[in-house]
Amino acid sequence: MKKQLLFLTFFTLICQFFVLAQTVSISGKVTGQNKDPLAGVNVQIADGNLGAITDGNGNYLIKALPNATLVFSYVGYLDKSVKLTGTKVLDVNLTVDPKSLQDVVVTALGIKKESKRLGYATATVNGDAMSTNRTANPMSTLQGKLAGVNISTMGTGPAGSTKIRIRGQSSFNSVNQPLIVINGVPMDNTTYGIGGGIGARSGQVNSTDGGDGFSSINPDDIESITVLKGATASALYGSRAKDGVVMVTTKKGSSKGIGVEYNANYTTDEALDYTDFQYEYGQGERGVRPTTAYPQSAVWSFGEKFQPGMTQVLFAGSIWPYEPVRNRYKQFYRTGTNLTNTVTLSNGNENGSFRLSMSNSDNQGILSNNQFNKKTINLGFNQNINKALTIQGNVNYSNEFNKNPPQVNTQDMAIPTVLYTLSNSMPFAAMEQNQLMPNGNEFVMSRFLVRNNPYYSLNQRFENVKRDRIVGNVSFRYQINSWLYAQGRLAQDYYSRYNDYNIPNGYAPIPAAPTGFINGSYTQDVRNFRERNYDFLIGATKKIRDFGVDMTVGGNQMYRKTEYNSVSVTDFVQPGLYTIMNGRAKDPLYGKTERSVNSIYGAADFSYRTFLFLNVTARNDWFSTLAPSARSILYPSVTGSFVFSEKVKLPSWINYGKFRAAYAEVGDDNVAPYSNALYFGVNNNLFPNPSGASVPVGGINTTLVPNPDLRPLRVAESEVGLELKMFKSRVGLDISYYYKITNDQILAAQISDASGFTNKLINIGQSMNQGLEMQLSLSPIRSKNFKWDINLNASYNTSKVLKLGSSPSDTVIVVGGGGGRTIKEVVGLPIGALYTYLYKRDAAGNQVFDKASGKPLRNDVPAYVGNVLPKYFGGITNTFTIYGVEVGTLIDFRLGAKMIAGSNMNALRHGLSKLTLPGRAEGYVIGKGVNPDGSVNTTKADLQPFYETPNVLGVNEDFVFNSGFWKLRQVSIGYDFTKYLSKIKFIKGIKANFVANNVLILKKWTDNMDPENISNISDNETGLDFWTALPPTRSVGFNLNIKF
Amino acid sequence: MKRIKLFLSGLILLGFMFQGCEKGFDDLNINKVDPISLDPQFVMNKAITDATYRDNFATLELLCYDFGIVQQIITPFGSSLSGGNYNIFNPSNTTPIWTTFYQSVVKQLVYVIDKTKADATKTNLYNESRIWKAYAFMILTDTYGDVPYTEAGKGFLEGISKPKYDKQELIYKDILKELDEASAALDATKNTSTSDILYGGNISKWKKLGYSLLLRAAMRLSKVDPATAASYVKKAVAGGLMQSNADNSIIRHTSLYQNWIAVHLTAREKANFYLAKPFVDFLKNNNDPRLGSIAYRHVGAKSGAEQAAPRTTTDPTVQLGMPMGYDDVSIKNTFATYGVASLYDYSQVNLNTILKTDAPEYHVTYAQTQLLLAEAMVRGWTTGDADVTYKAGITAHMQQMAEYDSKAAIAADKILTYVTANKLIAGKELEQINSQYWVASFINGSETWANFRRSGFPALIKNPYPGSEIKGNFINRMPYPDSETITNQENLKAAVANQGANDLNSRIWWDKP
Repeated sequence: MKKQLLFLTFFTLICQFFVLAQTVSISGKVTGQNKDPLAGVNVQIADGNLGAITDGNGNYLIKALPNATLVFSYVGYLDKSVKLTGTKVLDVNLTVDPKSLQDVVVTALGIKKESKRLGYATATVNGDAMSTNRTANPMSTLQGKLAGVNISTMGTGPAGSTKIRIRGQSSFNSVNQPLIVINGVPMDNTTYGIGGGIGARSGQVNSTDGGDGFSSINPDDIESITVLKGATASALYGSRAKDGVVMVTTKKGSSKGIGVEYNANYTTDEALDYTDFQYEYGQGERGVRPTTAYPQSAVWSFGEKFQPGMTQVLFAGSIWPYEPVRNRYKQFYRTGTNLTNTVTLSNGNENGSFRLSMSNSDNQGILSNNQFNKKTINLGFNQNINKALTIQGNVNYSNEFNKNPPQVNTQDMAIPTVLYTLSNSMPFAAMEQNQLMPNGNEFVMSRFLVRNNPYYSLNQRFENVKRDRIVGNVSFRYQINSWLYAQGRLAQDYYSRYNDYNIPNGYAPIPAAPTGFINGSYTQDVRNFRERNYDFLIGATKKIRDFGVDMTVGGNQMYRKTEYNSVSVTDFVQPGLYTIMNGRAKDPLYGKTERSVNSIYGAADFSYRTFLFLNVTARNDWFSTLAPSARSILYPSVTGSFVFSEKVKLPSWINYGKFRAAYAEVGDDNVAPYSNALYFGVNNNLFPNPSGASVPVGGINTTLVPNPDLRPLRVAESEVGLELKMFKSRVGLDISYYYKITNDQILAAQISDASGFTNKLINIGQSMNQGLEMQLSLSPIRSKNFKWDINLNASYNTSKVLKLGSSPSDTVIVVGGGGGRTIKEVVGLPIGALYTYLYKRDAAGNQVFDKASGKPLRNDVPAYVGNVLPKYFGGITNTFTIYGVEVGTLIDFRLGAKMIAGSNMNALRHGLSKLTLPGRAEGYVIGKGVNPDGSVNTTKADLQPFYETPNVLGVNEDFVFNSGFWKLRQVSIGYDFTKYLSKIKFIKGIKANFVANNVLILKKWTDNMDPENISNISDNETGLDFWTALPPTRSVGFNLNIKF
Repeated sequence: MKRIKLFLSGLILLGFMFQGCEKGFDDLNINKVDPISLDPQFVMNKAITDATYRDNFATLELLCYDFGIVQQIITPFGSSLSGGNYNIFNPSNTTPIWTTFYQSVVKQLVYVIDKTKADATKTNLYNESRIWKAYAFMILTDTYGDVPYTEAGKGFLEGISKPKYDKQELIYKDILKELDEASAALDATKNTSTSDILYGGNISKWKKLGYSLLLRAAMRLSKVDPATAASYVKKAVAGGLMQSNADNSIIRHTSLYQNWIAVHLTAREKANFYLAKPFVDFLKNNNDPRLGSIAYRHVGAKSGAEQAAPRTTTDPTVQLGMPMGYDDVSIKNTFATYGVASLYDYSQVNLNTILKTDAPEYHVTYAQTQLLLAEAMVRGWTTGDADVTYKAGITAHMQQMAEYDSKAAIAADKILTYVTANKLIAGKELEQINSQYWVASFINGSETWANFRRSGFPALIKNPYPGSEIKGNFINRMPYPDSETITNQENLKAAVANQGANDLNSRIWWDKP
């Protein structure tokens, strides 16, 4: 630090040489809070290049024209301009920037508080960071930027959803996503689709990511995002905030008159290929290449060794060179583009203001039929009706159209799955030329009929997802007198979501239609979602000498309704016409759920002078989903903070210091409505009895054992934290430790099929999460033309399953999985234990092979191979400002977790993996090891079945990888052109940025894939992958912002 | 002042919106769409329809194991289709019967039994559901051996998540008792329902089904406990067996409720499954007219795409079963021997007749019952002319062909010719009867396999596939699903300790070597 100061002083001195002759010398002392001298203050002549820096006693010396204006700037203080009036000595006292030392933080219910009053950790990202370097779903942009917050993006296309985990995973089951709050009001963030999600209709070939709720937001409208991490922070939101709260504050109009702003953002996406497959043996099975017409080996690379001049026969008999086809992703995926234009109009005066923004965003996915368009209109206003009454409101309308989201996490028409497993010698031209048979049916290229020609999938399958959404609220605030106010608020989140998709006519894996019809299917579904929140708040502030009290009481009534109308038809009268009326067999569905939570809450905030704060809150929720005896729950919280820098004499290099501690309890009903009883379904169609009469068929329609006696789960969390600002606020440190116990979790535990059901809802289990979070900001260099800021956040989280079940013998619960890949909760292990079968080994560790077939054998029971949730994650943001050019980089990391990369299993069983090379020349494999009788294995196993065996047996031992990574996530280079525009009056500012996202993987441990690139979106099943996701993309582009 | 009033009235309005903290909650948490109870007759109907496998994937156990073990239908392809064709363990194909039967048949039946057992107006439905439960559990225990029985399907009613496994001996003895009691208790003078999917409320037919199933269950014990078998055969005969094909227990598939095996074979696995040579040869060598109803061949087809008209023929003389013991590459070695163009050239199940997508599926038939009865006569467990009964069984199955499709119908004279030519030969009766049972139970995979294990007939030769993983000549049972090792480990261990290793080799109780 000292060295740097020296350097800076030296730097300043050099500058002095260039001072012109007719100037005068000005000197003085700069002081800050409590009249303390400030060292390192930038003293600059307005409109000039010259500057000086104060020394250790706050003194400066500068040469300037007698009528110049000096600008004093210092971190944490407001800039101050002083026009020289002939004086030679100018002492200046700077005012603390309230935003800096006493940040105002938006806390629960939208209540703003000085950050020093908070007894818990929060993290904030401002809107610029989200709009400059953006992603189609704004949530993904936050990746790596917030301590304690782990965000995963799915490989599912531009409208894909995100998975957010704050301080680990609080429960084994159900949803662990935080609550999204916009301007104080909750917003639905339901994730649709993929792998049995809400969007899937059983029996239909639809496995796309239907997106989540957050994508309705335009990043240009975001003023800031504050994450309330702990239970204490979110205690006032009650049940829905057990996993923290992501609070979005949208931009408001300013009171400075008319303002117009235009923002353009353009990026291109390029698919990244991390596969490292073998290109020595080509298409075919059991060592034979395709030599006759209609081969069905398109996803097998167990063929012959490539030799120059070899040919292969494909499709109806055309002859193609038998040679490696490399760079498959590059050949098939196009460059995606994203263009967003936003225009904002704002106006205001002392009585009120408004801000209106309109935006259009066009995303062309890397699959050539995939587009995502989003239009948003956001209106925010506030108006002072009179001195006491203020009305505020915000409405966000969005119209989203996701055209042909990619099929993922499955086989049927899932292009990523086919491209990943496609034979390494399959020419793309051959596939493009042979999509349909002469009769219009699908041209089959694989005996796995569901591994479809990717061009066929691209051109024959369609899906549309459209959503219209209005989220808004109006609040009335009445200042009854100087210390008392009352506020009422009405809010609604409403959307209608339309989704339709087909199975094409002539699709090979489905049965032929009865005579007179053509096969295929079409599904159309419409959902309506409505959430209403009414709330009121009465607040009082009183100050008696050194003591201050803020009291708030309030209540909230939440009502949520979802409705679902869907019809699916099979077989058509008229080919190519996908409508419900054209269908033969019709299968309608209707669903409706309602739930309500009523709440009353109160908070009391006590302060002593400016350094001691105590906050107590209580909230009571009543859940409609639970039995009367269990539906009421009270959550208390108590937090305290002590700004010791204002009380204790500290070394001069500590500018600010705060210690905080908190304890809170929150709970959650966490069950779907109607989980209390067993329900029945009546089949849509009647069935003929022997006399031909149609009779009804119906039965228990669930595989989940209901439970009428569920209790809400409870999370008890304690945290302590320390905040420091040091070295003239050049170093900022915020450390938290938390300890979180979750009790009475509601689990859908997997049970024996012989019970008649697959899962049972039970109220059991106790788990613990604890961790450390650190946020460190550094400003190592802060000179006039070169600034360097570092922002580092790092989190450490460990968890442990403490209890399961109702008796001590219950120690395991199965969360999910398949194909030998299972996630379990096991007492004594961290949350999310991965299990898979291992190869059988004898006592000496030799692998055991079947004597007759020579194939590997497996152990009887699956083994524990690691945990899926990362122990460490975080990010490092570096910002350099060099002569006005701002360069920012974000490196993020996630470490200390395991995954089962099942997609590698597909590469293995299809002969693409390099692991399948041994034995190719001979055509057989002799497994190195022993037979069950102990003798050395000498059996020659057929090559292809040998490498197919791990998949057949569910032995994923070879594909348990460290899922950690280090990534260069973002780079942006920006320049503010505003200073060149002083003559152009109507433009107030121009800023341009070059941006790049997902730039580079610095380190990974997974073979053939990006460890983040998983298509399984299930809330609990992280770390499991089998069918490949859409490849990750690197995006590069620019952002342009003009203010008028 | 005006504005203050306005605001205050707004606040009051807001106050009204909070209608008390729990008011309306109980109503809110009632599902307005799905009922909380249903006429048990409709639930019984579901238990019956779902007993023919719930979706096309569930049929993979039949296609890949049951049909292949008894050498009627076979696939040369491996990987996800491997199983009985290579005599290897493929956990995804050994589990579907377990999951579908427990989840969609047993669960519903346990509910029906619970709702009807104490209801004097529903005694017939109660006894029907006991019969159907016996049917479902025979399939489960014949496939896996010891299985959860007494505690099964009670995940909701009694909260049993980890049901204990019962020994097969106990299960069978209870099934015999249940069938005997329930069949006897059926009473045509009591309430019946025309909504009954199986017999439209015809109690006399239900009774015949009950006793015919009792005969089947009794005969199952012929190796392990002949005395018990004989005693229950007598009870079954005395109670009254099926008298004609009109008594058959059938699921009548429609275009809306399709035959799942057919759906799977006409769609995903269209070019992958073939009639096995031993089966085709048996029919062919005996000039069996059923071959023309069951089989077709796409002569000269070189690929799946060429399996279409005009190559298609049902001519029995050109039918050619796929030889056992080959995979999709080694099968090439058979082409010259049999004069086929490719593996796609072998005979397949005719998807226009016996396995069209709305083809009926049979649970228990008059034909099967007559054949079992003939065996019981041969064994001296009941009286009657075994040869006549045997021929009646064959005749009934041949007549049954017409129910699949008119194209499959067999003319009376052809039937007569066949039965005249095939009479019981002293000393070979058991082989003859059970070989006919093998044909008469075609497509009913579980029954065909069970009767093959019980009787040892037809005298099939071990599948010679070189990569076999089994110890004996045939697969003896299906291993328990992997999910049981995860969710019900203690009970599973006890079952394995009783029955033997959880593999394809251990014999189930009634299958004495």
